[in-house]
Amino acid sequence: MHSILKTSLAALVAAGVTASSAAADAHALSGELNIISDMSNPAPRAVMEGLAADFGEMHPELEVNLTIVDREAWKTQIRNALGANPPDVVNWYAANRMRPYVDAGLFADISDLWAEPEFEALASTKGAMTLDGAQWGVPYTYYQWGVYYRKDIFEQYGLEEPSNWEEEVANCQTLLDNGVKCYTIGTKFLWTAGGWFDYINSRTNGYDFHIALARGEIEWTDDRVRQTFANWRQLIDMGAFIDDHQTYSWQEALPFMVNGEAAAYLMGNFAVAAMRDGGLDDSKLDFYQFPVINADVDFAEDAPTDTFHIASGAQNMDAAKEFLRFVTSAEVQTEINSGSGLGQLPVNANASIDDDKFLAQGFEMLSSNAGGGIMQFFDRDFDAEMASVGMEGLQEFMVFPDNLDDILMRLEETRQRIYN
Amino acid sequence: MFPTPLEKTSRQWQISYQVLLPIMLIIWLLPLIAVANFSIKPESDFVNGNYWGIPSSFDAFSNYGKVFFESNMPRYLLNSLFITIPTVIGAVALSCMAGFALGIYKFRSNLLIFFIFIAGNFVPFQILMVPVRDLTVNMNLYDTKTGLVLFHIAFQTGFCTLFMRNFIRALPFPLIEAARVEGIAEWKIFLYVVLPLMKPALAALAVLIFTFIWNDYFWAVVLTQGPTAQPVTAGITEFNSQFRAAYHLMSAGSIVAALPPVAMFFLMQKHFIAGLTLGAVK
Repeated sequence: MHSILKTSLAALVAAGVTASSAAADAHALSGELNIISDMSNPAPRAVMEGLAADFGEMHPELEVNLTIVDREAWKTQIRNALGANPPDVVNWYAANRMRPYVDAGLFADISDLWAEPEFEALASTKGAMTLDGAQWGVPYTYYQWGVYYRKDIFEQYGLEEPSNWEEEVANCQTLLDNGVKCYTIGTKFLWTAGGWFDYINSRTNGYDFHIALARGEIEWTDDRVRQTFANWRQLIDMGAFIDDHQTYSWQEALPFMVNGEAAAYLMGNFAVAAMRDGGLDDSKLDFYQFPVINADVDFAEDAPTDTFHIASGAQNMDAAKEFLRFVTSAEVQTEINSGSGLGQLPVNANASIDDDKFLAQGFEMLSSNAGGGIMQFFDRDFDAEMASVGMEGLQEFMVFPDNLDDILMRLEETRQRIYN
Repeated sequence: MFPTPLEKTSRQWQISYQVLLPIMLIIWLLPLIAVANFSIKPESDFVNGNYWGIPSSFDAFSNYGKVFFESNMPRYLLNSLFITIPTVIGAVALSCMAGFALGIYKFRSNLLIFFIFIAGNFVPFQILMVPVRDLTVNMNLYDTKTGLVLFHIAFQTGFCTLFMRNFIRALPFPLIEAARVEGIAEWKIFLYVVLPLMKPALAALAVLIFTFIWNDYFWAVVLTQGPTAQPVTAGITEFNSQFRAAYHLMSAGSIVAALPPVAMFFLMQKHFIAGLTLGAVK
């Protein structure tokens, strides 16, 4: 009986009968839905287990089987898992990280889902879910990046949130004149420098240029890339960043800001919880969007997005698609991203968010002020090997800016080796 | 006599020795002191950069409480026991028998087999990582305690056999000849004559293997991956959330994880000493 059901479902899928959501709603979902999730940390784990339980309750004839795999381990297991005896739904990441599985035909094309009117609310990440003109997954959460700064220090020296590069540099000079570093950063594990590059490059040359560079279509020795580094160097030469940052992790760089030795931190929203633990309440801590550098290009923002995908070998395509509709709905996204759940931002523009200053500003920024596009962060947008060589170069540049020519040559060699 | 007893050295040397010793001890123990200090600090101390100073508040109860009641630590500790104890029993039992055979009987390939056991110890175990991992996956033992136990037994038996064979070799052979004259079966000689004499070696080896296996991190990470099978050394990293390392909880967890081998050493100290003197009195 069971296998007959599976075959008939497969036949339905093959015939393309189930493409519309009306067909899926018309008959109750049945069979099994196998989900492998990488939400292994305690709070996300509870969220995922809640999702599976709720979905199972809505579809009593469907058996929802959830397997939770360690988040780091999943990065090496996903290919195996999708290859032999694949589950229906898996967790993964947006943008270029999908590339190996899309190219290998392991993710199912779900452009038909994205064509449904409900998915217009997810427009901010549509670009990040698109490869080769089709969509391959749905987002369930993301978080903003931006500049977190010491409001009290800014007030003390009469500074305003900068909206363009000149104000930014002027602010920084005032801070430095008063013996306060402009930015704290810990580049020991490299990725933090990637955030700075993402922002300065996309503000200087625009989102499309940044993504073209990430895809290996532009030479690292291009003059526009040099312009990005020239802008960055302005800050480095001023001494805007804390000293010896290559010896700190991102957490170890926090005390400089908490103790007032540095005024701001370009970081993801997860830093807020740590800063609050350190005693910075909302009267001392605030947020601003990375300022404009080139007025001709629109804002692009880093917002790493976590996603659900359907395996191309899924046995229960109907149920898998219904599950994706379920996790992208405004109500579910509101619930799972609340403070008691993931504590991040829902992607669905109709979802509501917790009463939190930083979540509110981030949601507003990503939903309505990121016209350029959503970047996934340096190590997700760039090819994995390019990213690791690239981030080493960025760190080296921050410590020895004079080595720039050398660094760019090295990155360019890597690009030619990887992309050609 | 070397080293010269302290009483016979000059006064200045005695004083500088007494001053330097505690200083060296503290320097040597610094990492441990830091971990102990971290484990009673609140999380906010790490954000404030108060790494080495006095904890801003005394949070030992809440930190250790979280370790025991709000995490998988008890589970990991139990896993460690379920991995370590069978390994100790298995490796010691096998090596007793192998050591008996190699130490007592004279047969042609005796020395060759013994050398093979020793040679196994010269293989750096890291180079076995990929084949062992593949083997475990193919045997459906990946991510199970059984897989880890089998591998540890196989690998530790080499060293244990070297130890046991040499110990049995040193036993007075006339004891065994006397038993043979009495017409006692060989397995009874092993059980009733040799094994009781090996008690100090058994105790010493068991303690040694217990600490080896309990402290193993490498294979725990290579062969297991979740709270169902991972021992405590690998499980400690669970306190890291997606973005932040919880230094205070990891430190508390490390202290808890380090206690069993330490306790084991102090409880079994007598056996060490008994073993040493037994050998000397002969």
